Amino acid sequence: MPSFRISVTPSRRAAARFISSVRRAIQKALVEEEKKRGLKQTDIARAIGVHRSVINRELKGRKDITLGRVAELAWAMGRVPIFDLPIEQANVGSNWRRADIAGTQISIVSGKRIRTSTSTAAG
Amino acid sequence: MATLLDLERTGAVSRIDPELNPRIQELRLIYTSPGVQQWIEQVLPTLESTWKVEESPIEQLTALIEIFCAGDTLSFGWQFNPLRPHRNGVWELKTADLRMFGWFSAKDCFVVAAADMADRIKDHGLYAGYVGQVVRFRDGLDLDEPKFISGDDPHAVVSDFSYP
Repeated sequence: MPSFRISVTPSRRAAARFISSVRRAIQKALVEEEKKRGLKQTDIARAIGVHRSVINRELKGRKDITLGRVAELAWAMGRVPIFDLPIEQANVGSNWRRADIAGTQISIVSGKRIRTSTSTAAG
Repeated sequence: MATLLDLERTGAVSRIDPELNPRIQELRLIYTSPGVQQWIEQVLPTLESTWKVEESPIEQLTALIEIFCAGDTLSFGWQFNPLRPHRNGVWELKTADLRMFGWFSAKDCFVVAAADMADRIKDHGLYAGYVGQVVRFRDGLDLDEPKFISGDDPHAVVSDFSYP
């Protein structure tokens, strides 16, 4: 029996993966800051003026996280969010189609900066 | 006796195609029982988030499967852990709304034999029942011994788990 795919449109797949990657980057940064200087969710919540449970729900995916909140969380952790939209690059010989594009990436660079970027794929 | 690949050929289990970006290698595998495959194809698309978040349960699963199969770090800390052990080598893979129960037939190779919405499992106390369902399905498979990795150490079942 062949493998099967999960029925999600490419655009929604891209959205889900991007949201997940942003949330994971924030989780990772928070764990790093907690190890480095003992920063807790409570400290972040106090710094941006919300209850700790709000931050906890947002980080666990139980509450939508806005772009503004991403910036607030980054600020509270002493980090800088950076958003990029690089142009897709075609790979010679690749049979990857535009409609298949699904990946997005987020990574933390230089320990103090959060870099987000869409993935590139062949046209 | 058979390998997981043999069982896939007979339809006893099916592999989820994670549809990774062409530059990303599939480093971990997820298989499902026929029942879970049917649930993913027929029931999951109809479910809405209990938390009313933007990502529907099926979209949450898509994102988690990408992370899992791409071999990304699975956990950054105890508070953000998507993998939880139960008894008898059964593990739970979770999103905000979903719980998937299965076992690791080998490191980085997860077989899901039960899945449901988290709120339904909590409201009706279904954890033990689903763990039992996984064990019964696993026992019924003609899979080579050892059929699963025992214990509750996440580092034994997945690579790049991260937190100590």
